Amino acid sequence: MAITEAHAGRRYPPCDPYQVSAAKIAEFATALGDDNPRYRGESPIAPPTFAAVISAPAWDALFNDPELELSVARIVHGDQRFTFIRPLHAGDVVIATATIDKVRMRAGSELVSATVDITALDGEPICRAQATFAHARETAA
Amino acid sequence: MKATVVEGLEVGTELPSLTVRFTRERLVRYAGASTDFNPIHYSEHFATRVGLPGVIAHGMLTMGTALRVVTNWVGDPSRVISYAVRFTRPVVVPDNADGVEVEFGGSVSAIDGSLVTVGIEAISEGQRVLGAARAEVDLGVRVPHLDHGTSYAP
Repeated sequence: MAITEAHAGRRYPPCDPYQVSAAKIAEFATALGDDNPRYRGESPIAPPTFAAVISAPAWDALFNDPELELSVARIVHGDQRFTFIRPLHAGDVVIATATIDKVRMRAGSELVSATVDITALDGEPICRAQATFAHARETAA
Repeated sequence: MKATVVEGLEVGTELPSLTVRFTRERLVRYAGASTDFNPIHYSEHFATRVGLPGVIAHGMLTMGTALRVVTNWVGDPSRVISYAVRFTRPVVVPDNADGVEVEFGGSVSAIDGSLVTVGIEAISEGQRVLGAARAEVDLGVRVPHLDHGTSYAP
């Protein structure tokens, strides 16, 4: 069966722990063309949208869920929201977990709203990433 | 935080704008840094096959770059407590030395104590590429209420 409204509330297993490194923070800041000194030096923090890097495997868990029958090539990122409880620091070890919040069926597509929670190993909340994706349904041949 | 941020701040205050060129090199860098290797962000062949007008920038590259307007202004990125955008239009990045220019701007849309909401604009080729983009910043100190002479004496 493909994705339906009934998949709202589905929570995926936590992803493998991710260790934030100063090198990855610097690489990400450079890719954004951002020379903010807080992203460099011995104890940098990550640019706020670095949370997307950590969220990526959690989104993949959802996109690749065989029961949903989604095709990544037909998914478009509609909106993105981040809520930051504290910044990510080099040395943090964090875990991302995806949950489907809502599925809306549209003519020819599904709108999937989902949340990725980023927490420390002890469960301390760090960041919440919420997004809506439009998935174009495959037209019957 | 920069000392100049709070002084004179009011709804409507404009933040310094930012103009950035997105080139193919930038997209490749962002792909590697973000681990988003979707080929629509580097392969013309793949992008046009899925119906796009050409290679497009990662939405998250546009979103991340737009936030520089806010973090450049506030200085300390840890002051940002929320950030949301809608991806309204893809940014097509041609395969040449100049790439495409994206202009980012921001203005204060709300002030509540120490919390300041900044509305962000991102424009490429005359079109808005982000919608409803806003970031909330906690300045850590209350923003003084500006008296424009409209209040009455007690």
